[in-house]
Amino acid sequence: MSQWSGESVKQREGDDVAEAPRGALVSAMVMVLPEDVGTKLREIAVTVLRSPFTKRSWSELLFLVVGAALAVLDAAFVVVTMAVGIAFAITFFGLAVIGLSLRGSRGIGRIQRNVARVLLEEDIEEPAPFAPRPGFLGWLQSALRDRAGWRAMAYVFLKIPLALLAVLTALSVWVDAFECLTYPLSRGAQPQSVGIVRIFGPPGYLSVGGPRFIQDVAIFMSGIVLFFVAPWVVRVVVYLDRLLLRALLGPDAVSVRVRSLEHARAQTVDASAATLRRIERDLHDGTQAQLVALAMRLGMAKEKLEDTEHLDLDRIRELVDDAHRGAKEAIFELRDIARGIHPPALDIGLEGALATVAARSTVPTDVTVSVAERPTPGIESIAYFCVAELLANVSQHARASRASVTCTQHGRRLRMVVRDDGVGGARPSVVGSSSSGLVGLADRVHAVDGRFDIASPPGGPTVVTVDLPLEI
Amino acid sequence: MDAPLRVVIAEDSAILRDGLVQLLIDRGFVVTAAVGDAEELHKSVERDDPDVAIVDIRMPPTFTNEGLRAAIELRQSHEGLGILLFSQYIETRYAAELLAHDAAGIGYLLKDRVADVSDFVDALVRVGSGGTALDPEVVTQLMGASRRAASIAALSTREKEVLALMAEGRSNGAIADALVISEGTVEKHVASIFTKLHLPESQSDHRRVLAVLRFLDS
Repeated sequence: MSQWSGESVKQREGDDVAEAPRGALVSAMVMVLPEDVGTKLREIAVTVLRSPFTKRSWSELLFLVVGAALAVLDAAFVVVTMAVGIAFAITFFGLAVIGLSLRGSRGIGRIQRNVARVLLEEDIEEPAPFAPRPGFLGWLQSALRDRAGWRAMAYVFLKIPLALLAVLTALSVWVDAFECLTYPLSRGAQPQSVGIVRIFGPPGYLSVGGPRFIQDVAIFMSGIVLFFVAPWVVRVVVYLDRLLLRALLGPDAVSVRVRSLEHARAQTVDASAATLRRIERDLHDGTQAQLVALAMRLGMAKEKLEDTEHLDLDRIRELVDDAHRGAKEAIFELRDIARGIHPPALDIGLEGALATVAARSTVPTDVTVSVAERPTPGIESIAYFCVAELLANVSQHARASRASVTCTQHGRRLRMVVRDDGVGGARPSVVGSSSSGLVGLADRVHAVDGRFDIASPPGGPTVVTVDLPLEI
Repeated sequence: MDAPLRVVIAEDSAILRDGLVQLLIDRGFVVTAAVGDAEELHKSVERDDPDVAIVDIRMPPTFTNEGLRAAIELRQSHEGLGILLFSQYIETRYAAELLAHDAAGIGYLLKDRVADVSDFVDALVRVGSGGTALDPEVVTQLMGASRRAASIAALSTREKEVLALMAEGRSNGAIADALVISEGTVEKHVASIFTKLHLPESQSDHRRVLAVLRFLDS
């Protein structure tokens, strides 16, 4: 763009009359078009001119050729096996053949996925593996109910018209382009293609007569146009195939959902086991040891009191003092642990509980809660622990001077935003560090179909948004 | 106690470790070292050659059974070193592992037992002088899980009490004290138990413990 502008300025400054129209045109373009639109047009032009020479265009073309060949084989397999299967459907033999046909379709699906991965760089997730029940009848039942198999078969059938479309349009345009470009050389031979151009007549239809030379040039020029258009026709057809591949050969929506629920369930089970283990550890290392030491001191004091002959009151007082202090520490620790299991403040509601947790934070924290409906206890608990953990992180890592917590209701969702003005750079992926707590939080939130987002650029501020359903 | 027993303590909870040190010094023991993990325990045993090691089963770094592993290793490398395992819970499997070869100089107690200072000190002395001290909880679990329930059922209530105390590693004198009966009566009960359970009479206390435990565990 800047080159063009520079040129136009130069043209206007130099009084070259012959070049004036071109200079004026370019500067008019520059003035009419905002700079970004001009850049865009240039980019489009470059893309169009380059496309016949890109790897992608040739890979897609190859995909269509391979796909058309495979489509014929696949369709033959499915049609023959299904025909036999349906003909004998009232016998187990027929059903078994249908089952085999479905299993075969699954195999075809795998081949198609691999072809798409290699040639289209289209990474389609594999459906859940076929898991037959034991025994022949179990296998038959599982095979006939295999959604992935039926969907792969649907792909095979839908691929037939698509392959036909590919041959008639995309492949034909390429053939036409090739024929037009070589027409001047092979003029004598009879055109063989079945493409669009052929449908409307031989390449010669483009010329309205006149000398041979003009005709040759016209056909050659149309060949050039077709050469640049062909990759885009291919792209459109391939795009339709991509849609079909994604819709029918990947895992279906139900199984994706099942898989994500299974994942969430596993995480929930693991998380609750980890929580129980942590609580046990806290009780074991803290309170229990504290109480054992306390009992031991009282035991020693008791024995010293029984020894009435050498009553060492100072030593006894010391032991009782230690025991007393130990008892108070044990009570304090026990309260902390109990709060970690279920915060008593939650019984009065989220607002009170969040105010309590904010008040305990070392960073001054504003809390705003406007929730019309009470979420279910499970959701309230997750919301509370998210805020507690996030504020603990703020205290420990953010070096913030202020933090805020807002909790609002949006329809049937609860949204909480925890914000601080600290140094930022919080990442949930750092396993083993203190922020692995963030991963645990995110897991808990995802387990109930919630969302957990962190925006924490280096230098801050950090904004964590937690979005939860009001009920599970 | 002529020469005071020399004791090393391996316990990761600082509160408990300090308390134990205080208690043992108060009772006239010599504490050679008080450490927080198995590695330090090995080093201090090597250096000080104590008579007894009080070992917490669960210690850093994994907080599972480091203490037990260390105890088994020490038993092999330092013959005659008494080991008193000290735990928040009783795992019968651990007891079985520890007593696999010999019950001499082995103890396994719940940490709570330090509250009864004299009993704890007795147990420690017993272990230090080659005896056995098993927590009543261990014995209860072993008796509960025993496949010899039918034989045990043939014992009288008093005999069951004596059996439990024997399994804990107590001498006839200590059993007599605990049950407030004469030592002669205890001897009669013991003989009757051994007859009813078809066990051979044993001379020393710890052999007797082993015989009883084998019986319960088999």
